[in-house]
Amino acid sequence: MDAPKAALVLFVVALLQLAVLTEYEPFRTSSIVLVALLSIALLRGSIFGAVAGFGTGLLLDTATLGTLGLTSLLLTVGGFWIGRYGETTARDRFHAPFVSVAVVTVLYSFGQIALQFVLGEPAPAGLVAHALPLGLLLNLVLTLPVYALIRRLFPPLELGDRVREVRLLG
Amino acid sequence: MGGLVLLSLVLITVSFRSSALDGVQGTAASILRPFEIAADRVSRPFRDTAGWVHGLASAKSENAKLRQKVDQLQQRLVLDEGALQENVYLRSQLGYHGPPSIQNFSRVNATVLTNPQSAIDESITIAAGTKDGVRIGAPVIAPSGGLVGKVAKTWGSVARVVLLTDAQSFVTSMDLTHPSAVGIIRRGGGGSDALIFDRVPKQPNVSVGDTVITAGSLGSGALPSMFPRGLRVGTVTSVSNLDVNTFKTIQVEPFVNFATLQSVIVLVAKQ
Repeated sequence: MDAPKAALVLFVVALLQLAVLTEYEPFRTSSIVLVALLSIALLRGSIFGAVAGFGTGLLLDTATLGTLGLTSLLLTVGGFWIGRYGETTARDRFHAPFVSVAVVTVLYSFGQIALQFVLGEPAPAGLVAHALPLGLLLNLVLTLPVYALIRRLFPPLELGDRVREVRLLG
Repeated sequence: MGGLVLLSLVLITVSFRSSALDGVQGTAASILRPFEIAADRVSRPFRDTAGWVHGLASAKSENAKLRQKVDQLQQRLVLDEGALQENVYLRSQLGYHGPPSIQNFSRVNATVLTNPQSAIDESITIAAGTKDGVRIGAPVIAPSGGLVGKVAKTWGSVARVVLLTDAQSFVTSMDLTHPSAVGIIRRGGGGSDALIFDRVPKQPNVSVGDTVITAGSLGSGALPSMFPRGLRVGTVTSVSNLDVNTFKTIQVEPFVNFATLQSVIVLVAKQ
């Protein structure tokens, strides 16, 4: 039941990002989609995060008529990595979503630049570095309400369901 | 995870190197279009309210400035109308044929579906495509008349527009007040939307406040400009004339706010 719910949530969030938020200039530097995806990945694990990331990336690339696969690649890796972080270390800790969003926002921005560079497209690293502090701040501000909402929609799994996970004791 | 990464890489390769996925992408984008328009319509009342509240704060001072400007423009309009009538009369007397202008293009109005999505994204998608006559390279302007960019890729009912602020966007332009000042409009540095009016020789005089327009095709070159003459680009905000530089350094503020476009006009050349 989690998969269709996640698909619906990410679809609505992607529409919000594409059609509404990016009309406001500050939101061109941040991404509510990234925050929502990382929240879901943190709560549901690496495989779920990777698949959700791939689907969301494909949706964004399709809607913006960009190069297919570009955003998918970055969000797949981001979703998997944060899902793994949740499974192994810090799902229940207060700082986990903030750390996840902060780290992935930085890596996602420079990952975009690196891929653009590899493809021979303009890759203005200066622009990204210039926009990064505001984007990071906005993403962190968005994390609190978005993670709270996602956590309500995707309550933490029972211990028995987390057979593949590492549990920290003490 | 490995499979998804591999699939992403395959998609990037196919999408970047060929047009094999264009049909699928175009169809998928067309399916998404109603959802995007619905999201836009649902959020519009909230945005309008926010805009109204924001507008109230600056309305009084803006009103005084605009009244002053209206007076100036009314005086100028009288002079311009006289010059226009004289121009039309003299053209007909001389049988003069000028370069292609905006009158040689038909207009296709389109909603903006997605605005630029990140700091390095300088493109928008619009709800008009090949079915509406939109072709690659077609100039795109804002409803206010300011130049927005050109069509980079087309599908059946959607198209991707590369903005004037893109790193690979260059437009031959001229100073409206001093037509001998001809150069190239390109993206400026930093994170702003400021443009650079480049390659302008030091000789012609260019002043702050001058209007920069597209120059159209100059001479009879093998590669004519895609933009007709006379599209408004922006206003000159600074001019520097350093001895060490071969050309003037001119900064231009575009007439268009590229981040908040809601609709555009695509200019399609009449057959």
